[in-house]
Amino acid sequence: MMHELRAVMYREARIRATNLLFIFWDVVYPIGYLLVFGVGLNSAVRFTTGPAAVDYNAFFLAGVLGMASFGIASNTAWSFFLDRDNGIYYEMLTYPISRAQYLVGKVLFNILIALVQAAITIGLADALLGVSVWWAMSPLVVLMVVVGTAGWFFFYAIFAVLIRRNDAFNTVTSVFYFVLLFASSMFYPLEPLPAPLRAAAYANPITWQVDVLRYATTSLGDPSWLPLEFAGFAGFTVASLAGALTALRRDA
Amino acid sequence: MLHREFGENRGAVRTAVTPASGMSSPAIEVEHLVKVFERRGRPPVRAVDGLSFSVAKGSIFGLLGPNGAGKTTTLRVLTTLTRPTGGRARVAGYDVVASALDVRRRIAVVIQEHAADLLLTVRDNLLSFGRFHGLARDVLRARAASVMERFGLVEHAGRKVQDLSGGFRRRVQVAKVLMVDTPLVFLDEFSTGMDPLLKRAVMDLLREASRAGRTIVLTTQVLTEAEELCDDILIINRGRQVARGDLHALKLLSEGVYEVSLTFDALPPEVEAEVAALGPLRVRTTGSTLQFSIKADERDVLALVNRLAARGHVRRVEVGGASLEDVFVELMSGGEDTR
Repeated sequence: MMHELRAVMYREARIRATNLLFIFWDVVYPIGYLLVFGVGLNSAVRFTTGPAAVDYNAFFLAGVLGMASFGIASNTAWSFFLDRDNGIYYEMLTYPISRAQYLVGKVLFNILIALVQAAITIGLADALLGVSVWWAMSPLVVLMVVVGTAGWFFFYAIFAVLIRRNDAFNTVTSVFYFVLLFASSMFYPLEPLPAPLRAAAYANPITWQVDVLRYATTSLGDPSWLPLEFAGFAGFTVASLAGALTALRRDA
Repeated sequence: MLHREFGENRGAVRTAVTPASGMSSPAIEVEHLVKVFERRGRPPVRAVDGLSFSVAKGSIFGLLGPNGAGKTTTLRVLTTLTRPTGGRARVAGYDVVASALDVRRRIAVVIQEHAADLLLTVRDNLLSFGRFHGLARDVLRARAASVMERFGLVEHAGRKVQDLSGGFRRRVQVAKVLMVDTPLVFLDEFSTGMDPLLKRAVMDLLREASRAGRTIVLTTQVLTEAEELCDDILIINRGRQVARGDLHALKLLSEGVYEVSLTFDALPPEVEAEVAALGPLRVRTTGSTLQFSIKADERDVLALVNRLAARGHVRRVEVGGASLEDVFVELMSGGEDTR
C-alpha cells in the first residue's frame, strides 16, 4: 500500500523539483500577497463592522492560506493535462496502483508544499506584521491545510479528468476562482454583504475552510459554527474524492 | 490443428488454429468480449464484437487487423484501461474488471502513443517506473543501468526526455518494460518511430523475454514484424475474429497465393498493365523491380512469369508462397467469406 503512494509522490516531487523557481514561488507568494495586498488594504480601508478591532492583516491571514491551498490544488489538477500531453496519463493508469492511490499520491507532495507555505506565511505574518497568532491551535491549522488542499485538488481533478481540453479547463478554473474566492469570507467579513451574496458565501466550501483557518490562526470568528463548517468541508472533500474516482474510472 | 467456425449471423467464416503450446493455464483468456462505445446523437460503435481467444504462457501473440479493427480497444480492455460492455477477460488468472489491480501488478504496457515524463531524465523515468512496481532501491539502480546499456541510453541517462528525439523517447518508453519482471507485456505498435537497428534489437529482447517465460502481446501494422516475431497470430476486423493460428497455419489459408518479384535491366512499359489486368492482390513497382501477389494456379503463375520475362532483360526472378501480408490482404478484401 505504502510503496504505491511513495512512488506517485516521488514522481510528483521529481517533476516539481525540475523547476525550483516554481516551488519557491509557491512557497513564498502567500506571504507576498499578505505583505502587498493585505498591508495595502489595511492602510486604505478599515473595517466598520464585524471584527472592527482587528487589523486587516490578521483577518486576511486565513484568507491567504485558503487561497494558497486553492491555488496549489488547481495547479496539481492541471498536471493531468501535462500527463495527457506527455502521453503518460494512460500508461500510468496501467501501473500497479489503484485509482485512489493515484489521486492521493498526486496530491501528497503538494500538501507538503502547502504546509511549508502555511508555516512560512503564518511565521512571517507574526514576525513582520505583528499578527497575533494562536500557536496552540497549530495542529488544527495543519489539519485544515491538509484537508483543504486535498479537498480542492479532488474537486478540480473531477473537471481535469472529464474535460479533455486544456483551454476549456482553464476557463472553468477561472470561473471557479472568480465565483468561489469572491463569494466567500476570504477577503471580507460576510455580515455587511447583501443577502444573496451572503447566502452564496455561507454555502461556499471556501468559507467553511477559511473560517476554520481564521479561528485556528487568530481566534477570530464564531467558534460555535466551526464544528459544522469543518464537518461540511470534510464532507466536501470526501464527496470530491468520490467524484474524482468516478471520473477516473469512467475515463479509463 | 485447423478449426473453421462458421460465423453466427453474418455468414462470415472464422478460422482458428490451436496454438502449439499447451493451453492448460493460459496467460490470457477472452470469452465473448464486447465493447460498445455509445455516441451522443449517433449510432453506437461495436469496437469489439464477441471476441474469444486465449494466449499461451510464454508465447509471443500478435493481434493484427486494419485501422479501426478493434486491436487497441481489445488491448485497452486487457490492460484494465477500458471496461468491457460484455463478455469477460482474464489476464494472468485475474478478471480484468473484478481484479483490475491484480492484473496491473502482472503487466507492463507500452501504449500506442509516445508516453514518457518529458520533464524527467531518462534515468528518472526508468527509476520512477520501477518504483511503481515496488522494486527495492539497489535493484532499481542496477536494473536501470543494465536497461540503459541494452537500449543504448547510457550517454543520455542524465538528459531530460523532452530534449531527446522521438525515436529516443520511444526507446525510453519500451525500455521501461524491461525494468520489471511482470509475466505479461503488452505492446501497442511498439516499433513506431524506431530505426531498423533498434527495432531489430528490441525484437531480439522480446524473443529473449519470451524464452524466459514472459508472455508478449503485441499489435502492429507492420506485418513483417509479426511474421518474424509471433508464435501465434489473431487477425481481427470490425471487432471480430477473421483468422487465428501460427504463421504456417495462416499461410495455408492463402493456398494458391504466390509472391512474384521480377527485376529488369529497365522496366518494360507494358508489364505493369499486364499484371494489373490479372487482378493481383497487390502490386508494387520500385525502380526496375516489379513485385506482385496473385492468386492463381501454379502453372499459370509460371507461365505469366515466362511471358513477363520475355518482355525485357531480366536480372532476377523470385517466386514464393504467400507472405503474412498476402494472407492479411486477402482476408481483409473479403477472401475469408469464400472459404
